[in-house]
Amino acid sequence: MERKSILKILIILMFVCLFIGLVNLDLLQGGKFRRLSDSNCIRLISQSGARGNILDRNGGVIVDSKISYDVMILPQELDQLDRILAGISRILEVEVKDLKSVFRKNYFSSSLPVTVASNIDLKKAIQLGEYKLEEPSIIVQPNPLRHYPYGTLAAHVIGYLNEIDRWRLTKLEDYGYKTKDIVGFGGVEEKYDYYLRQEEGGLSVEVNHRGKFMRVLGFESPQNGRDIQLTLDLKIQKIAEENLSGRKGSIVVLDPQSGGVLAMANYPNFNPAVFVNKRTRLIAGLFNNPESPLINRAISSSYPPASIFKIVVAAAALELKKINLSTNFLCRGSTMVGSRKFSCWDVHGLQDIIAALAHSCDIFFYKTGLLLGAQNIHDYALKLGLGRSIGFELPYETSGFIPSPLWRKINKFQNWFDGDTANLSIGQGDCLVTPLQAANLVSVFANGGYLPTPYIIKSVGGLELSARKKKMYRLPFKKSTFEIIRRGLREVVSDSKGTGNVLSGLDIAVAGKTGTAQVSRGATHAWFVGFFPYNKPKYAICVFLEHGGPGHSASVIAKQVIEAMIKQGLVEDQQ
Amino acid sequence: MRSSFFRILILALIIVSLGVLSIYSSTYQKEGAWQDIHKRQILWAVIGLGCFIVMSQLNYRKLWDANYFIYGVALFFLFLVFVLGIIRLGAQRWLRFAWFNFQPSEFAKLAVIIFLARYFSRKSVDDISLLSGKFGIFRGIILPFIFVAVPMFLIIEQPDLGSGLMLLLVFVSLLYLTNVRLKYIFTLICVLILPLPFFWHFLRDYQKQRLLVFLNPNIDPLGAGYTVIQSRIAIGSGGLFGRGWLSGTQSQLYFLPESHTDFIFATFSEQWGFLGSCLLLLMYYLIIRQGFIIAQRTQDSFGRLLAYGISLLLALQVFINIAMNMGLAPVVGLPLPLMSYGGSSVLVTFIALGILVNIDRTRSVF
Repeated sequence: MERKSILKILIILMFVCLFIGLVNLDLLQGGKFRRLSDSNCIRLISQSGARGNILDRNGGVIVDSKISYDVMILPQELDQLDRILAGISRILEVEVKDLKSVFRKNYFSSSLPVTVASNIDLKKAIQLGEYKLEEPSIIVQPNPLRHYPYGTLAAHVIGYLNEIDRWRLTKLEDYGYKTKDIVGFGGVEEKYDYYLRQEEGGLSVEVNHRGKFMRVLGFESPQNGRDIQLTLDLKIQKIAEENLSGRKGSIVVLDPQSGGVLAMANYPNFNPAVFVNKRTRLIAGLFNNPESPLINRAISSSYPPASIFKIVVAAAALELKKINLSTNFLCRGSTMVGSRKFSCWDVHGLQDIIAALAHSCDIFFYKTGLLLGAQNIHDYALKLGLGRSIGFELPYETSGFIPSPLWRKINKFQNWFDGDTANLSIGQGDCLVTPLQAANLVSVFANGGYLPTPYIIKSVGGLELSARKKKMYRLPFKKSTFEIIRRGLREVVSDSKGTGNVLSGLDIAVAGKTGTAQVSRGATHAWFVGFFPYNKPKYAICVFLEHGGPGHSASVIAKQVIEAMIKQGLVEDQQ
Repeated sequence: MRSSFFRILILALIIVSLGVLSIYSSTYQKEGAWQDIHKRQILWAVIGLGCFIVMSQLNYRKLWDANYFIYGVALFFLFLVFVLGIIRLGAQRWLRFAWFNFQPSEFAKLAVIIFLARYFSRKSVDDISLLSGKFGIFRGIILPFIFVAVPMFLIIEQPDLGSGLMLLLVFVSLLYLTNVRLKYIFTLICVLILPLPFFWHFLRDYQKQRLLVFLNPNIDPLGAGYTVIQSRIAIGSGGLFGRGWLSGTQSQLYFLPESHTDFIFATFSEQWGFLGSCLLLLMYYLIIRQGFIIAQRTQDSFGRLLAYGISLLLALQVFINIAMNMGLAPVVGLPLPLMSYGGSSVLVTFIALGILVNIDRTRSVF
């Protein structure tokens, strides 16, 4: 071949080579290089909206968000950076040195804006906003933070906010959650996180090779989260917490006509604000505290119901016609069940059902229980909403427990004896209920036979949910059963020897039942469940004191709560 | 033949205009004197156009007679640069004239081609056959190599490795086109390649760095490798259709250094994309092909060699520059003919194209 032809082919090959190079860069790797090019010059500055507020039933704010301002700058060359930081330090009256060290600490990558100062006040934020006209690389970022105007109030219902953990992340990744997201833990914040959650918006800006701001490319406004209205009543909640103060336990106030939770107070409690301020030492203290202040005792822990369980036994016995109004048992202070001696806490003499409820006579209920048999008691407990989870709207609800002979046989390989039945009849033994279940139980007798499903969410984002709630379930019991027990519960207060007689001094009629639960170690748990006003019950209440002594102490607390409610005009007695 | 005149003129004008557009787009956001840079390029293009027309009318055989003079002038300027050239970007490549800077190395490329074309197309007095066929190793290789080596050495010392090596490449390919025996050429290539490791020590630090970076741009992403990485991003981000004129972020936000000179292809490609770049390649190819066609149909051996030389000079510069933009060749200071900003380059390219047209025009005389 001639030399010039070979040369010509070489030239053509050179151009083919360039063409292939273009195909490779533009077509095959074009997407990658487009991204690289964008990441060169586009910076995203995210702006988060505010998390949804949590309101009480009247629209009063329980938790909202307060705007704080952060100062951020786009990373750029050192000499420029020094000038900008000097300007910021003049306005904020901080040392440049400090700003620099914060910058260095927060610097993550050249493509992300760096926070140099957070939580600055509005006045300085405005001044910086003016300075921004000279130095467009400064960003004053409004940053809504959770704000708890009432501190610890309803902390367990609300829950707290923290950085998402691994376990939640794996579950929620598909719903658009990312690492380092702030999510709710416990309470409404956790369960309704998806609704409360704000949507991030932000600016995309163009910068040049020195990181200097050039222009704004686009803006997407952040979306606030949806507000959630609870059935809680701030006033009642406050009363409940004030009166519980310092005593371990829980107070639940229900609306017996609907099942809406009006107050749910727990102690020990915590201040969710420590999680916002990242007070690490205090947070560690909360987690390590043996009293477990983060636990919502009203739904997440269950206790032996003791004498308040007698309501269940009474209902079952009346319903199954084992006893009637004229049935009497003699209380001599003790009785023999099999070869074991079971004693009463007092000597009551001849007792009928109403007196037995009023005086909380154990002998009467041992005998009634034995007539009924354990399985019947178990069945009626379940019918009255014990021993199974309510399906409450807050997370970590426990179902409580009601033992039965079958369960004992299957799980413990033990037989059920009459002694166990006797124990169960007074709510001891393996029997466990949560304070919310106890309040729900007494609601049935307050409203005359409807089993409510307690709920706490009234509306989400303005959408009323009450229509979608479960209808109250009419228990197929005889009307007389409810009436007799109602009378009995009223006698607990009105009878001069009634266990809840301390409540009789109130301006309104209260009905209820006390309970004193024996525990293997420490002082007894104190219970009081009740409803008021007696004729047209508006409220059902459960006061539970963990290791709080006899049931009497719970009734004292209940009295204080009801007193305070009357004083605030929350209870109008229509007698 | 009028047709080759218009063909080359139109192609050259299109490329120059695209060059002006790209220069404008990469500098219009900068302050001060940068704003007018595209106007200066237009001025150079107009002057270049004048030179093109003059050269296309001037009989190229006059270059035969003037070749020692041209070669001498080129050497003189290169020496002058050595003595009082101005230093820019760490290199001493320019001579300051009244209102512009002149880069003698551009001129020297053309001068060397004219010189070599004449050298290899001399005929013996008694015979009409070419002398070059009878050249031994001394007259065929060594003597012309010395003539090339002197300006080459001066250019490399500026330092301007790209233009220096360009001379060498043009020399080797012209040798190949003459009747000099292949074994001599191979000997030359071997002599040049074998001591390369030895020459490594004579390279400047930045040149060593560039060669290392060519092998792996990521060893120094913010230093020597930066340009290549950014230029690849610029080209690649253009995609199929490009980002549109004045919308290239790489070149306009200064991520790409030298975006109006050596890396103008990346600037262009970012904005016009794959299709635009292919079109540009096609136009360069058409000009070069035109040069080869002219060379092939010229009977005069001087004219033929000259035409080949000019076409090869264009082809090699285009190839090396674009390949370097894509990261396929090491970064050397070499402009893209007609596109890159720079009066000397534009002017010399237009003159060379003018000579090419004239060779075609005068063909019939012989």
